[in-house]
Amino acid sequence: MQNSQVQSAYFDVVVVGGGISGIQAALDLGDQDHKVLLVERSASIGGKMISLSKTFPTLDCSSCITTPKMSAAFHHPNIQVWTSTDVERVESSDGVRKVHLCRHPTYVDNSLCIGCRLCEYACPVEYPDPFEEGLGAQRAIAVPFTNALPQKAVLNPRYCIACGACIKACPTDAVQFDQREERLTVEAGAVVLTTGFALNSLELKREYNAARSANIISPLQLERLLVPHGPYGRVLRPSDGKVPGNVAFVLCAGSRDQSIGVLYCSRFCCMYSIKQAMLLSGALPTAELTIYYMDIRAFGKGHEQFYQNAKAMGIQFVKAKVASIEPVTGDDISLRVELEEEAGRVAERRHDLVVLAQGAIPVFEPAKALNTPAAEDGFLRQPDSVKITWTGVEGVFAAGCALGPKDIVDSIVEAGAAAMEASKFLAMRTAGRSPAQKPDRLANPVGT
Amino acid sequence: MIRSTAQVESVAPEPRIGVYVCRCGGNISDVIDTEKVAETIKLVPGVRVSKVHSFMCSEPGQAMIAEDIKKEQLNRVVVASCSPFLHELTFRVAVRRGGLNPYLYEHVNIREQGSWSHHGDPEGATVKAIRLLAAAVHRLYHAEPLEQIRLPSHRRALVIGGGIAGLKAAVDLAAKDVGVVLVEREPQLGGRLLGLASLFPNDESGRAQIDRLVGEVQNNRNIEVLTGTVIKSVSGFLGNYDIAVGPASAGGAADVEAGGAKEKKLSVGAIIVATGHDYYRPGSGEYGFKRYTQVVTMPEFIDLLAGASRDGIEFNGQRIRRIGFMHCVGSRQIEGIHQPQADGRVNDYCSRVCCTTVLHQALHAKRRFPYLAVFDFHQDIRTYGRLHEDYYRRASEAGVVFFRFHGDEPPLVEGGVDGYPVQVRLKDWLTWGEEIVVPLDLLVLAVGMVARDNRELVNLLKLPIGADRFFQEVHPKLRPVETSVNGILLAGTAQAPMTIEETLASASAAASKAACLLAHDSVELETFKARVDADKCIGCGLCFPECAYEGALVRTNVEREGKTVTLASVNPGLCVGCGACVPVCPTRAIDLQGWTLSQFEAMVDGLLSAPLPSQPATSESSSHGKAH
Ligand SMILES: Cc1cc2nc3c(=O)[nH]c(=O)nc-3n(C[C@H](O)[C@H](O)[C@H](O)COP(=O)(O)OP(=O)(O)OC[C@H]3O[C@@H](n4cnc5c(N)ncnc54)[C@H](O)[C@@H]3O)c2cc1C
Ligand SMILES: Cc1cc2nc3c(=O)[nH]c(=O)nc-3n(C[C@H](O)[C@H](O)[C@H](O)COP(=O)(O)OP(=O)(O)OC[C@H]3O[C@@H](n4cnc5c(N)ncnc54)[C@H](O)[C@@H]3O)c2cc1C
Ligand code: SF4
Ligand code: SF4
Ligand code: SF4
Ligand code: SF4
Repeated sequence: MQNSQVQSAYFDVVVVGGGISGIQAALDLGDQDHKVLLVERSASIGGKMISLSKTFPTLDCSSCITTPKMSAAFHHPNIQVWTSTDVERVESSDGVRKVHLCRHPTYVDNSLCIGCRLCEYACPVEYPDPFEEGLGAQRAIAVPFTNALPQKAVLNPRYCIACGACIKACPTDAVQFDQREERLTVEAGAVVLTTGFALNSLELKREYNAARSANIISPLQLERLLVPHGPYGRVLRPSDGKVPGNVAFVLCAGSRDQSIGVLYCSRFCCMYSIKQAMLLSGALPTAELTIYYMDIRAFGKGHEQFYQNAKAMGIQFVKAKVASIEPVTGDDISLRVELEEEAGRVAERRHDLVVLAQGAIPVFEPAKALNTPAAEDGFLRQPDSVKITWTGVEGVFAAGCALGPKDIVDSIVEAGAAAMEASKFLAMRTAGRSPAQKPDRLANPVGT
Repeated sequence: MIRSTAQVESVAPEPRIGVYVCRCGGNISDVIDTEKVAETIKLVPGVRVSKVHSFMCSEPGQAMIAEDIKKEQLNRVVVASCSPFLHELTFRVAVRRGGLNPYLYEHVNIREQGSWSHHGDPEGATVKAIRLLAAAVHRLYHAEPLEQIRLPSHRRALVIGGGIAGLKAAVDLAAKDVGVVLVEREPQLGGRLLGLASLFPNDESGRAQIDRLVGEVQNNRNIEVLTGTVIKSVSGFLGNYDIAVGPASAGGAADVEAGGAKEKKLSVGAIIVATGHDYYRPGSGEYGFKRYTQVVTMPEFIDLLAGASRDGIEFNGQRIRRIGFMHCVGSRQIEGIHQPQADGRVNDYCSRVCCTTVLHQALHAKRRFPYLAVFDFHQDIRTYGRLHEDYYRRASEAGVVFFRFHGDEPPLVEGGVDGYPVQVRLKDWLTWGEEIVVPLDLLVLAVGMVARDNRELVNLLKLPIGADRFFQEVHPKLRPVETSVNGILLAGTAQAPMTIEETLASASAAASKAACLLAHDSVELETFKARVDADKCIGCGLCFPECAYEGALVRTNVEREGKTVTLASVNPGLCVGCGACVPVCPTRAIDLQGWTLSQFEAMVDGLLSAPLPSQPATSESSSHGKAH
């Protein structure tokens, strides 16, 4: 893409991260007539939420309630969306924010691609689909997933064998092997960081031996298994395709644990585990479902009622510390648990699928990327007890899981709050400045 | 000032209808034979295009509609997919992208009302889908292009409640140059925080936080504060609310002293409800409350601790050495175990802040008086928030002793022995359900939050209340600060229990929504409103008594053949489009635009004449093939 004109671009607000928090912040800002750039690192907006099955506590189909928001932001007259673009650094000085971006090559010209997927059908290479958390297969060139936005193909150079099949298949000559990474800088009146969270490694706790069994899975994998159109079309365990009959959920498997340095609670894992157990009991009515927990943190609106329903459905809640996990014969898994309600008696429990509630950790590094120290938990700081979405850096605000793990509804509320603070900041700043200075809009390079 | 809906020019008379059937990635097509539905519906007259797609809501699905509109010159579109609640708007916008008026679109729900509700009967569900689609197609024969109604609006908001939520919302809106009237019932601003001496997560006092915001409110030319004041009446609609306010209680001398509140009328464009919460009041005898003086509530304990001298906490003439904290008092109640509340329901929700409050206050007390022995009785420790888990860890390190009970076997509070006024008896599940007795000098009940009794306000605003008695948001996942009444928003603990940080976020989010709604000098309203054909109206007035919405129907005098007659007309801002007025009209002068009587008649025809998979289209169905 030719981006010489982008060098001098100015936006009222740059929103960093196109998950539900970023989408909501962009919408609230766009609706208040601010010119917004929404930057997303991956090839589609939607964040984690677009890949979830259903959402607690309402059990709404997640993609059904995310797509309208994605679409509204994507087609909003005041919002531009740049995908496959990383924000590397944000500088705030002399009253202006400089946002340093890196645009990753997708090897497809978005202004030409019509999303027909002919390249995808022609491509001979398959690799574990990242959207399906590695459970399904993806072609080396593909539109990332069914309801991705934008609907543009992306080529993964790690797997592409440069056979040229896609080039031949493409009806619009959109595939371009010679694209390069580009670095550019845009200016912004304000910045909203909605960079979300990552899950810490499944293999972080050595005594849980996740590396040794495909049947010790991450909760995001289970989300995909539970989606009606997921990788296998139904819930099967990865090692041998068996329908699981006895599933364990291990809570706090990467949080509230001094030994791995994550002291805080990841806040949504109790609830999504209960949700997943409920959905499993719908999909596999005869399966035994056990949740091993320390405390059940069902604190949000409607959450306690959801928890009580799960108990009434027959899901087992066992208060226990899971000391270790071992793969055993038949691809099954054995859990060594200290049953707290039996004075710490140690028991061996056998299951055929185990889900580890991994901890939610930050992806944004404030020290490196914003020149400001991170809070003790590694997430962005919230130094003002009244302007809670302010990061302590002039004109830079944050929301959602960038300020610590939180569920969708809390993220959405916070995104509205960050939009408000950013909008107020702009109003104060422009008070006195003439509107003639308002810069022009750019053509949207993802070709909406 | 009020302009009724503009009807745009008529479309081509011959219907060219596009029908799209969504598989919903298997959600629908696993039960309904979507291919067969699409194939069969082609037999209905007027259907030009009939297609199936995996995700109609996806970008390619939407693009397909827009493209077909152009290529096939479609002039009406039907999508059969999930609930219109989710995607009707999506497809209206898609239709507009194709260059068609968005109201020439009809949404058919074959998921919630099809595949999901009839998953045991695939054939029946398929037939039902076809019938519903045929009805939609027939309805579209009579569809007319409509436009959204725009009405001028006031760039001013009313904020009800001057706690931290209301203060924050007011400050935010004022900074965006939206005028604010802040109405507080009490003589002073601040709400609950005024009574909380030390708060998590930063040990600030409630008053210090309130003072910061009150300072900003008082020096703000955009904010008018009315204390000692309540709302007396509300009328109007988004952009145009008329409000009357007056003194908090029926004009005694005390009120005049309290704040000199006066009767006053206001015009605002949006309303933010920030009326907060009440503390749960334990019943007599609940955990020994009222039976033993030494059983107090958390707010009382916070006061007690704040007032304690350096020598220690004195209560009832006794030096306190052993304190117990009882979690979940008035929260997480179970039917059949706990006494129901006045409305017959138990409080089955978690109050969210009390676990952290207990640990924070316990630590605070231990920091001041290290000799205190502190006991904690809980079901779960819910220290979920940022820094909250720290309190839990530090409380354990500081020697707080934890006991865990099961919700269906709450601890008993009894008179104590050996000089202790009370004792707690429970089965402790941090051991093995062993029965334990803990003697105490003081038992603190961590009372939860309950909704304020705000019946008058609820009636005035016509807002829905949830089963937990808090104000109900319109969508619990996606639209947490909006209500079912367009233009009325929720901030803070009026909606649900939350911490201060969460209250502030919710208040700013509500302010943000209000700023979006009032961003321009006019607001857009939904277009499905009643409309009167003045030529047909005979002025009989039969529709007036049917309408439950004050001001929706207006008597208008017109000259007819030299005489003045009084006809009905509609104020689209207040009409909710319920249609109650339509059936009583003897001349069919009043009708609901977008949902006319003739459209309903056509739908019935469509349902009955639908071609079914096995049989060919009946000749009857074609008799309605021509639009009016
Ligand atoms: C297994 C699981 C199940 C869950 N189930 C539920 C549920 O049922 N209900 C519920 O309420 N919540 C649930 N959650 C929580 C939910 O996922 C989060 O609340 C939500 O995703 C938070 O959204 P966010 O936008 O803050 O973060 P994210 O979804 O993480 O989005 C952040 C976005 O920012 C992008 N980004 C990051 N850094 C950069 C950068 N430097 N430049 C550009 N882009 C960047 C990322 O690529 C990502 O797209 C679940 C979580 C998990 C793990
Ligand atoms: C015991 C206890 C301790 C707590 N400690 C902490 C803590 O340490 N840290 C923390 O983060 N959170 C804490 N909280 C939570 C905190 O109190 C709330 O988050 C906060 O008070 C909510 O503020 P609000 O503005 O929503 O409601 P409120 O403070 O209740 O304010 C509502 C205001 O609206 C007014 N009002 C009500 N009805 C009307 C009407 N009809 N017309 C006009 N005005 C009306 C009221 O008079 C009041 O001034 C605690 C809660 C409890 C119960
Ligand atoms: S790159 Fe070409 S073949 Fe691939 S989806 Fe885009 S337009 Fe189709
Ligand atoms: S939410 Fe539940 S599972 Fe997750 S860290 Fe907190 S207590 Fe553990
Ligand atoms: S926050 Fe804790 S004390 Fe309060 S209701 Fe919930 S679990 Fe009980
Ligand atoms: S449609 Fe309902 S609200 Fe509107 S005028 Fe008729 S009766 Fe009144």
